[in-house]
Amino acid sequence: MKVQLLSLKKACLNAIKEVETLRSLQEVEVKYIGRKGELTSILRGVKDLPDKQKPIIGKLSNKVKNELETAFKVKIVELETAELNKKLKDDNFDITVPGPDNNLGHIHPLSQVQRKVENIFGSMGFTVMDGPEVESEYYNFEGLNIPSWHPARDMQDTFFIKGKKDKKHGRMVLRTHTSPVQVRTMEKFGPPLRVIVPGRTFRYEATDASHDTTFYQVEGFMIDKDISIAHLKGVLAQFLSRLFEKDVKVRIRPGYFPFVEPGLEVDFSCLICGGKGCRVCKHTGWVEFMGAGMIHENVLKAGGIDPKKWQGWAFGFGLTRLVMMRHAIDDIRLLLGGDLRFINQF
Amino acid sequence: MFVSLNWIKDFVPLKGKINPLELSELITIRTAEVEGYKDLAESFNNMVVGKIKSIKPHPDADRLTITQTDIGGVSNQIVCGADNIYEGMYVPVALPGAKVKWHGEGDLVELKSAKLRGVQSDGMLCAGEEIGLGKKDNGIYDFKGLNVKEGMPLAKVFKKDDIVFEIDNKSLTHRPDLWGHYGMAREIAAITGNEFKKLEPKVKIPKTGDSPNIEVKDYDLCPRYCGLIIKNIKVESSPKWMQDRLLAVGYRPISNIVDVTNYVMAELGQPLHAFDKNFIKGGIIVRRANKNEEITTLDGQKRKLDTNMLVIADHEKAVAIAGIMGGENSEINDETTEIIIESANFNPESIRKSSVRLGLRTEAVQRFEKSLDPNLAELAIKRTAELILQLCPTAKIAGPITDKKRVTLEEPIITLDSDTVSSKLGVPISVKQCADILRSLEFKVVKKSETKLQVTVPSFRATKDIDIEDDLVEEIVRLYGYENIKPTLPSLPIEAPMENTERTRKHHARDLLSYGFGLSEIYNYSFYGQDEIEKCLMNEKGHILLENHLSQDQTHLRTTLVPNLLKNVVSNLRYNLSLKFYEIGRTYKEIGEFFPLEEKWIGGVVVKKSESFYETKSIAVEFLKEFSKYKVEVKQVKNVLPYAHPSRCADLIVRGTAVGTIFEVHPQVLKNFDIEAKVSMFEINFSKLAGILEPLVKYEKLPKFQGLDIDISVVVDLQKTVAEVEKEIRKADKNLIKRVKLFDIYKGEHIEKGKKAFAFRVLLQADDKTLTDEEMSAIQKKIFHNMEKIGGTIRGK
Repeated sequence: MKVQLLSLKKACLNAIKEVETLRSLQEVEVKYIGRKGELTSILRGVKDLPDKQKPIIGKLSNKVKNELETAFKVKIVELETAELNKKLKDDNFDITVPGPDNNLGHIHPLSQVQRKVENIFGSMGFTVMDGPEVESEYYNFEGLNIPSWHPARDMQDTFFIKGKKDKKHGRMVLRTHTSPVQVRTMEKFGPPLRVIVPGRTFRYEATDASHDTTFYQVEGFMIDKDISIAHLKGVLAQFLSRLFEKDVKVRIRPGYFPFVEPGLEVDFSCLICGGKGCRVCKHTGWVEFMGAGMIHENVLKAGGIDPKKWQGWAFGFGLTRLVMMRHAIDDIRLLLGGDLRFINQF
Repeated sequence: MFVSLNWIKDFVPLKGKINPLELSELITIRTAEVEGYKDLAESFNNMVVGKIKSIKPHPDADRLTITQTDIGGVSNQIVCGADNIYEGMYVPVALPGAKVKWHGEGDLVELKSAKLRGVQSDGMLCAGEEIGLGKKDNGIYDFKGLNVKEGMPLAKVFKKDDIVFEIDNKSLTHRPDLWGHYGMAREIAAITGNEFKKLEPKVKIPKTGDSPNIEVKDYDLCPRYCGLIIKNIKVESSPKWMQDRLLAVGYRPISNIVDVTNYVMAELGQPLHAFDKNFIKGGIIVRRANKNEEITTLDGQKRKLDTNMLVIADHEKAVAIAGIMGGENSEINDETTEIIIESANFNPESIRKSSVRLGLRTEAVQRFEKSLDPNLAELAIKRTAELILQLCPTAKIAGPITDKKRVTLEEPIITLDSDTVSSKLGVPISVKQCADILRSLEFKVVKKSETKLQVTVPSFRATKDIDIEDDLVEEIVRLYGYENIKPTLPSLPIEAPMENTERTRKHHARDLLSYGFGLSEIYNYSFYGQDEIEKCLMNEKGHILLENHLSQDQTHLRTTLVPNLLKNVVSNLRYNLSLKFYEIGRTYKEIGEFFPLEEKWIGGVVVKKSESFYETKSIAVEFLKEFSKYKVEVKQVKNVLPYAHPSRCADLIVRGTAVGTIFEVHPQVLKNFDIEAKVSMFEINFSKLAGILEPLVKYEKLPKFQGLDIDISVVVDLQKTVAEVEKEIRKADKNLIKRVKLFDIYKGEHIEKGKKAFAFRVLLQADDKTLTDEEMSAIQKKIFHNMEKIGGTIRGK
């Protein structure tokens, strides 16, 4: 009987080994260790054995049964794993099928860059200020040391509003720059001041790829006891290196703006060619970026600040121009053109 | 403005070879922006005079010859196709690298060494038209009769050895002294550390004799007028050296007299005029134009004048528009023998205004409007006389200069403190440094104390440029060099800046709308036109109008974002059938005060083929909820907007304030814009909304006990609204009904005509226990009852 059991075990293990599917494994299980299987029929003979042999064979048969059951379990796991692997492999799943639409909207590049500029100056302690876009001649010109006869008014081709006139304020205009907010802020808060003013500005000029009636500027100014041109250079260096996240060379040269004295222009090395000279920088290697200078004493006075006690600088640059340079936009009209194919690229 | 380096060298002894790029950059960072420069010799680069030594036939081409040319001790082989060449001929030779025009046509082409029919050829013998000299000799240019030697650079032969800088006029706005070579030379001397040679015209003005009779009627508009008569003039061409200089800086040579006046203007910056004395009847009167007076100017245009304009007249007629342009009636011509030279100073404001009104901007206007130094008039008239005598040996000065003036020529005195300079620059500057710099620019400087200087401003800088201490600071800083100031950061207390809440919240609104609700942000112009107002069924009243505008769709300032957003719909529908976008921008409303009301608005648009109102509503309501952290009510509109569908619009209320509206666009408006899709919009007054500060959220305890959803399906009359039915459901139990949510509306064949079915899911939940079946069915019964009360029938009851 012992021989019978051992040969059954061997035959069963062999059968398990050869099986390839769960189904045939089940058949083998039924055949050998099922309720009506071969093991059962062998064990039926135990009752005919001599008493002395019964426990020995009993033990052996249990052992064979356990061993076989374990073998089945192992084989099941093996076959299941194989089957799963096969399934995973022959999946025919097409990952290139597009998912359902989940359209995100896009924020206009002018808003994005403006926020970046605000954040950089905000971290240096500058407050963001606002002013009216429909502005009086007084704030747009006279308050900024640009009297009515001044040739600078030639450079500023201005939109005028119909039928508005006031003794102090003169006529009404669409502001030609963000600078009027300088005097307004001085009047409202007094010194010391650290302010930037990003905003919409207007010029009465024919439009083409690089000119539009409407564009965005950022004004910045700082007034305190001992604020100098060296500080202007320091703050601008911080701003530009943050903005472009790379080293940008800055060139300062004399410039003329009636509301600053000394007046200066700030250029930076061309971002496209790195200063070697290209079409964008008109082969000079430099790109005009902002006008700046020490705030003219007449402007401080207009803002109610005593120029003997306080001094400071101001700058202004084109946010629109900055956005165009950053994103290599070659036509300014795209920015206010309302074409979603353009906006959705940002 | 163009500046010739050779001309500058008349006044500044610049030594050695000048690197034009370096000089350009120096002028740019010290004085005024140089936009570029042109080396006039460059077009003759790699071109020299050659002497043909031998001409031999080409073995493989009948029409070609092989020439050996001496180009200065070196022999050069060139294959040539011309037939006018001969041995011993001096010719222009373009060597490899030179740029020529083949047969005088097309673009410039760079020459390279090549084999022509198997024979090496290093360059080209040139015809005049091939190197920009014009056609001369039939074939190759022949230097016969000219004093040339083999090897001479062509630039030298033709005296094209000048460098011309172009200065940005805008950067000279405040510098009347820089509108001529003399002033530029003074600057260049100062910035290069060279001496400046002053101009002293060597001309003898007779004490007696004929001088022009001049009467100035309006000294406000003409502070100074100098006149001089020169006789025995012979009008002819000016010499080549003068023509070359004029051409180099952009003036067309005309005749010796006209060229001299232009030359002096380009040199000194003082515009001049020469009248033919024969045509001046009785003497010169400087007066305002008479009403409706007319004059034909030198450009042949008849111009109508007004009484604000100044004219130069004789006793019969106007002969020039003062400081702007001369008249045809007194123009210099070939027969002119006697002239009156005018060198005057005019009021800059008046010149500018007259020029704008006439639409006539000339070189003279550009200079007079900058406020010229009245002293310059005298120097210029002497220089003009000097040059005319030089060019025209027969000419004679008839008598003394008539000099009518009413100007105070005093030079202002400013006290400068070197401590102020140091403080403004942020670097220590000594009083000596200040004095040295100012002296180099011809300021007179007297030291008054350890830090103080008394500075006298020269008259050529005093007319408008320099009148306060800061103006002197500018002179010092630009000569000191901005590049020499070390960037430093101010040390200030680290106060947190005042927060611009509205601005911060605007960025937040963008994040929500774009990244939360999937709308893209558009920017539009602040204007629209009458056409848009009409298309939107709006009223013109309340609009602010532009005095001047560039196009018909930019005449009115917008009072709402809607018209431009609708134009965006039209243009974008061409590429996409469903759209979602918004704009945050200002509106401008006339409110009867001087300053108009400026408000910031958000305008949102949803465009679909099918119904779009409810999507717009959910975007607007969810946005407002998230943005304000308050409940949002949607209510019947108080005022229907003209462009809104009158029954498909609603007000949005936050904390009792109407902050905006949602609406479907009026079908007539859509038709006016030719839009076929369904367009819904929301308008939110952002200025108002941003003023409602968001409350701190306080957390609500999470429910401890399970709730249960029950579904209610009820058939009601078509007129009944969801809100009415929902209100009745909620009435059944105010405490235990936690949520009522509509999940279906059905209209159709399975329902009686004139009715519709609503399906609601109602959450029943208690805060203190789990509800029993009995409690729940009691509420359900109550709901059923309430539904029946309003004429509803419960389906599947």
